[in-house]
Amino acid sequence: MTATVTPRPSATRRAEQSGFLRTLHAEWTKFRTVRGWVLAMAGALLVTIVVGLLGTAAPAPGGHGADAASYPKGPGGEAVNDSFYFVHKTLTGDGTLTVPLRSLTGVADTGTGQTAQGAQSWAKAGIIVKESLTQGAPYAAVMATGGHGVRMQYDYTHDTAGPSGKVTQESPRWLRLVRFGDILTGSSSTDGSHWSEVGHAKLPRLARTVQAGLFATSPQGKQDTAAGTGFSPAVATGTFGRPVLTGGWSQSAWSGTQMGGDAGTSGSYTNTTKGGFTQTDGGGFTVTGAGDIAPVVGGPVMGVGFSVENFLVGTFAGLIVVIAVGTVFITGEYRRGLLRTTMAATPLRGRVLGAKALVAGGFAFAIGLVAAAITIPIGESSARGRGFRVFPVTSATEVRVVVGTGLLCAAAAVLALGVGALLQRSGTAVALVIASIVLPFLLATSGVLPPRVSEWLLRVTPAAGFAIQQTLPQYAQVLSVYEPSTGYYPLAPWAGLAVLCGYAALAFGLAVLRLRGRDV
Amino acid sequence: MSLLRSARLTSTADGAWRGGFGRALRAEWTKLRTAGDMGRLLLLAVALTVAVGCGTAKAVKCPDTGCGQDAVKLALTGVTVGQAVIAVLAVLAVSSEYGTGMIRTTLTAVPNRPTVLTAKATVLATAVLISGTAAVLASLLAGRYILPGNGFTEAHGYAPLSLADGSTLRAAVGSVLYLVLIALIGLGVATAVREAATAIGVVLGLLYLFPVVTQVVNDPEWQRHLQQISPMTAGLAVQATVHLHELPIGPWAGLGVLAMWAAAALLVGSLLLHRRDA
Amino acid sequence: MSDESTKATIEVIGLRKRFGPQLALDGMTFTVRPGRVTGFVGPNGAGKSTTMRVILGLDAAEEGKALVDGVPYRTLHCPLRHLGALLDASALQPSRTARNHLLWLAHSQGLSARRVDEVIEQAGLGTAARRKTGGFSLGMRQRLGIAAALLGDPPVVMLDEPFNGLDPDGIVWMRGFLSSLARQGRAVLVSSHLMSELEDTADHLVVIGRGRVVADTSVSELLAEAAGGRVTLRTSAPPRAAQVLHGAGATVLATGPDTLGVTGLPDEEIVALLARNGVPFSQVSAHRATLEEAYMELTRDAVEYRGIPAGEATR
Repeated sequence: MTATVTPRPSATRRAEQSGFLRTLHAEWTKFRTVRGWVLAMAGALLVTIVVGLLGTAAPAPGGHGADAASYPKGPGGEAVNDSFYFVHKTLTGDGTLTVPLRSLTGVADTGTGQTAQGAQSWAKAGIIVKESLTQGAPYAAVMATGGHGVRMQYDYTHDTAGPSGKVTQESPRWLRLVRFGDILTGSSSTDGSHWSEVGHAKLPRLARTVQAGLFATSPQGKQDTAAGTGFSPAVATGTFGRPVLTGGWSQSAWSGTQMGGDAGTSGSYTNTTKGGFTQTDGGGFTVTGAGDIAPVVGGPVMGVGFSVENFLVGTFAGLIVVIAVGTVFITGEYRRGLLRTTMAATPLRGRVLGAKALVAGGFAFAIGLVAAAITIPIGESSARGRGFRVFPVTSATEVRVVVGTGLLCAAAAVLALGVGALLQRSGTAVALVIASIVLPFLLATSGVLPPRVSEWLLRVTPAAGFAIQQTLPQYAQVLSVYEPSTGYYPLAPWAGLAVLCGYAALAFGLAVLRLRGRDV
Repeated sequence: MSLLRSARLTSTADGAWRGGFGRALRAEWTKLRTAGDMGRLLLLAVALTVAVGCGTAKAVKCPDTGCGQDAVKLALTGVTVGQAVIAVLAVLAVSSEYGTGMIRTTLTAVPNRPTVLTAKATVLATAVLISGTAAVLASLLAGRYILPGNGFTEAHGYAPLSLADGSTLRAAVGSVLYLVLIALIGLGVATAVREAATAIGVVLGLLYLFPVVTQVVNDPEWQRHLQQISPMTAGLAVQATVHLHELPIGPWAGLGVLAMWAAAALLVGSLLLHRRDA
Repeated sequence: MSDESTKATIEVIGLRKRFGPQLALDGMTFTVRPGRVTGFVGPNGAGKSTTMRVILGLDAAEEGKALVDGVPYRTLHCPLRHLGALLDASALQPSRTARNHLLWLAHSQGLSARRVDEVIEQAGLGTAARRKTGGFSLGMRQRLGIAAALLGDPPVVMLDEPFNGLDPDGIVWMRGFLSSLARQGRAVLVSSHLMSELEDTADHLVVIGRGRVVADTSVSELLAEAAGGRVTLRTSAPPRAAQVLHGAGATVLATGPDTLGVTGLPDEEIVALLARNGVPFSQVSAHRATLEEAYMELTRDAVEYRGIPAGEATR
């Protein structure tokens, strides 16, 4: 409202500014002196916490405290799967391992005794250098995959593509991994003499003594049908030629280890297969394994566990209250004719609405922020206590989720205020706002609609705002169901919130225009 | 005075509506008919239900045999959206009287409060029954024309939607009753809490929160129980025509759960209406 | 006013009701009789609206009862044919037309649309009846409320503050209208917080304060009581006049250099006495108290009048 057609003297402008503060003060007094609203807002805080904690209060499948497990954490603090069959020796200092990979095959158990031959697209076999046999330890590996060619991967989240093409008996791949200090370089060759670098990794402070050798692993097979996505246990087998070692290798024999003891959350051995290795004539190896060396993502491959946003499911309940209060904050004035008194006290109508938006939005922000800040730590420790895994997030992500929940509530309150001012009827306005925020979410996650339509719903409706709560990561090198029904929003967190804020701004702007252009 | 009395008698008309409940019913019907926005809301409910049903039917493909989709439920997806409008309508039928103070006029004209609530419920249920039937029939008809184009063909195991099929008929009748019960929940809640915004919040919270919370519940047993008591999930079970054994609750039993919620809402509403000063 | 016990009336007997710590009604008792306009007056918050809501069965009293035609309102089958009431003229759904508002009310009493058109005519709504009530002025709403109250052609009519928001023309219309209702033999109860509004309209008054009746009396009695029969006398010989009048048994007070206040003798007798005794006087005027003054006095402190036996109610 400070924008005027003709420039005003600065004194007037100062008066205007303090005028806004006065209006703000008036609206704040109006808000806090209606006991029902303050109680309702306190109720919003309470239901957000209670619904969130009750919703995640189920006992763990294994019973109380059965398996107080947590995801292994990678060097970056992220949850990782680190399960593969490892044929290894100790390497001290620098060294090189070169090996031909003659084939990468696999078998998947598609249910009721049927099997499907062929390696999964992200089945892996190759050379790995790993700091220790502890899950989550730093590593670098060069490998062939079932469907994505040769890759250089390190520290779980990094993935560099090399030459494409499948490995078969007819077209074997030679792989080489060189350790030099904390630099690891992966190369590949189709003939053993012409090499090309696939990628290199810098593993800072990598221990001088590491475990290195050959590995094979395979995530579960994923089948897409019209009715949904199915996952089936799968193993991969890599057939290696004789490895050539140079550098500080130990003289002991190769030993085999199933890393992680099982196949992790994203892999699974079939009933008839298990991990292991055999040494072939001529010094080669056949290594069979299941699992993955990759970050954990959401969806079926996450296993039994909670992500941070699960604890915030009560936000829906809190939002309903916030929306109702935000609407009545303006429609109540229409109904009782109080708006005339308000407009007589502050004739600048946009300013009144701005002050209202600031008060309702500010209050709602505080509710969302406090509720999230309380719910997340309680929910996490309670879930861990019951033996659930909790998907770890960085502090920055946690702050984003907590602040984002506050902003989500604030945007919803402003949207409700704007729609309330436009429709002037509390019932219709509340229903419209609740339905526009919650209904698209419900429809998108119900699994009735195809993913394409669900994602579209969460892109263009106010429900996009819930993206701000998403903590589950998505990686191209990990197959999962990255869909709304598994907690994946089509928009990035802040982009999703921006969509909701856009709706709120639109409703607010139209409300200001309407309020200016109409008799009250 | 005797003159006055006789004048009163001659002004009495319409013998068919002589009973107390009949009079209240007719008054409520006139009220609903002349409220202005009620007709528009009913039309909106029908339009939204059919539009969302069409949209869903257009969006979902069935590429091969055994794609596992429930064609009838798909065509009736719009009920999920239409119910919000029905809930608003039901809440406004009561709350707008409280908001304006007209409830006092109503209770002055018909002092027997259970009669008022029963008359309101009857009129509202009838209106929703009629528009709900229109919405459901139109949705099924649209599905009958749209779905075969998306692979829901005889070759893939889907006969064209037809009310002659027992389970389709059940889904259709059940969906209409579902909408009626949603209206009754709205009426009961609005009578109990009076204020429109609060009432809408309570009704939509009741409908939407259960399915949202169910999604994060990790325990399958808890999930099942939640689905069994959730008014929306249990009530919409009546739309299922395939994989009935996989449902958390049977079709009619699910609708029964919703009916219990409606009865509870009406009971609380009528108790409060009876006990409170108007 | 004969045979009152069988006539259609409102009887309010010992109503008591609390709103939290506040005693809203404290033994409210009065009767409304047919053929006259009963004014129901008291300051804001005295309990007028609450009493009317209890009569209509909208609010429940903790003690006592309110009867319409000898029975509680809530047991009446077609209540609007017994009692027509106007509580809050603004209690309308704005999107409905005036005629449709009357129509649903008519249907609730088993009345036809023809009756609706009759009361529209009677209340002077005319063409406005087909407009939505959202745009009505307060005066139009009052007329619509009156029409609703008359719908059942009831022998008892009860109006809460019907003069509120009326322009002078409207007030004149309302007064004539109320009187005509009483002339038709109806019992009319009209509440107001301003006595002046009722001065020329009400035949009988029920004055309340702090939830109880402080006076239940006819207008003339109340006026006489308030005036106390005082006569103002202007004379050039005050001592002589005082002596003569005192001798005749009157109480005389000097109210100015040449004026005396006289009580205990009617003005005609004072004139005769002075003339007979040759006392010069220039003016003899009976002091006429306004109803407003009487009312102010009565309600100044309602508690003081707890024991006053009031007019007809004690019969």
